[in-house]
Amino acid sequence: MKNLNSVFAAYLIAWGVFFTYYVTVARRAAALKEELERLKNSLNRGK
Amino acid sequence: MKKSSLGAAAVVLLLAAAAYAAFFIAPTDSRQGVIYRIIFLHVPSAETGLVSFFICFVANVAYVLKRQPKWDWMGIAAAEVGLAFTTVCLITGPIWAKPVWGIYWTWDARLTSTAVLWLLYVAYLLLRTLIEEPDRRALLSALFGIFAFIDVPLVFGSIRWWRTQHPQPVIMGGPGSGLDPVMRAVLFFCWVPMLALMVLLMQSRYRLEAMRGDLDIVRRESEAA
Amino acid sequence: MSLLSNTGTLLGKELRTEFRSRELLMTTVIFILVVIILFSFTFDPTSSDARRFGAGLLWLAFLFAASLMLQPCFLREQTNDTLSALRLSVSDPFAILLAKLAANTLFLLVTELLMLPVFAVLYNVPVFAVFGQLLLVFFLGSLGVSIAGTALSAISAQARMRELLLPLLLLPLLTPVLVASTQVTAGLLDVEPFVQWKGVGFLVVFDLVFLTALWLFGEYLLEE
Repeated sequence: MKNLNSVFAAYLIAWGVFFTYYVTVARRAAALKEELERLKNSLNRGK
Repeated sequence: MKKSSLGAAAVVLLLAAAAYAAFFIAPTDSRQGVIYRIIFLHVPSAETGLVSFFICFVANVAYVLKRQPKWDWMGIAAAEVGLAFTTVCLITGPIWAKPVWGIYWTWDARLTSTAVLWLLYVAYLLLRTLIEEPDRRALLSALFGIFAFIDVPLVFGSIRWWRTQHPQPVIMGGPGSGLDPVMRAVLFFCWVPMLALMVLLMQSRYRLEAMRGDLDIVRRESEAA
Repeated sequence: MSLLSNTGTLLGKELRTEFRSRELLMTTVIFILVVIILFSFTFDPTSSDARRFGAGLLWLAFLFAASLMLQPCFLREQTNDTLSALRLSVSDPFAILLAKLAANTLFLLVTELLMLPVFAVLYNVPVFAVFGQLLLVFFLGSLGVSIAGTALSAISAQARMRELLLPLLLLPLLTPVLVASTQVTAGLLDVEPFVQWKGVGFLVVFDLVFLTALWLFGEYLLEE
């Protein structure tokens, strides 16, 4: 089946796009959460 | 945390099931051989992208009328996710076209329209990066999003009319054109995981944007303190 | 004061502002001329190709020119801080948008008609026999460009990098106008000219849809 590679490539690229997007968003969310905690803590300490 | 991992796992399972159906349940196409199986990825991606952009449109209108930040968060999440699906559609189209037509791009009406759609929402995202004030950014991008979405049927309609003036190969045939009933069932089934994936991606992007909103508030509080 | 009389007054102001210096019109005309001449270097301009590609090149030139010409539309108000005064002077903010888009349509139409004979001569394409029909498609196309362009100019005026942003927002949005106008114009410039009524229909629909959208959402564009 000569075009099987192309089909596999298409699926891998597609999943790659979605996975990369998901991971990027998750990473940014984790970083934001950390900063949010940090700021909240310093605010509470200040009070 | 646990609920979202469960959701992600469910989506992965659905995607795997869809891939299995695409490769093993759908019968072989007599003319194209195995390459046609890309249709089970290409068409649902395109349709899910359009659904995302519709959600973006609804969120945009809601923001303009209500001015609640959550609609702005929904808008950006839907636009980015829609763009991801549209990108996959635009990549898988040429991968299919090359073995079948010998060229990567045939200026097929729907693929061309999808390319314009892609440009419109890239412009939407770019616009957002160029406005600093959050309320201005939300309002102006919502207004552009509204204009962009109402343009979509006009883009698709005019390009399809243009292409019928000068007939060109049509990628994948029209919707359900000459598709074997098993193929059609698999195609429909493959749409479900795409929609589930769309919801998952939008949720996480929405949460990210909501967190940004919270961070702004806390930052302002800490500066005031 | 009614919408029409408000619009009329503001339109008069727009026209007077422009005709005092005429700098916008002049630079737009010259820009289109430059584009038309440069395009001619990319293929054989006197062959039958000219008839086939001429319409598309003409409309591309118009679109590029418009995306530059529409920049000052709201930028002027922002620089001079006159938008709030404008809003106070009218009962319906739509009058401001209507006046601007009418002015822009007129400016575009004037530049297009000025460039038409130049195009006809340089590309050896007969235009006078179908002048009336060309005027119709120029008007409908320019109207579409102005409606969308006025709205997007209001948006881009409030962003950074607005000189690059406006074309980026506007040109994809105007795809239906480009496609339909080019088809109709190509039909009119054909060896046996004919009117593509479906294309004309598309332009009318585009104009109506975007005019309605502008009427529904335009006041939010003018918020400060």
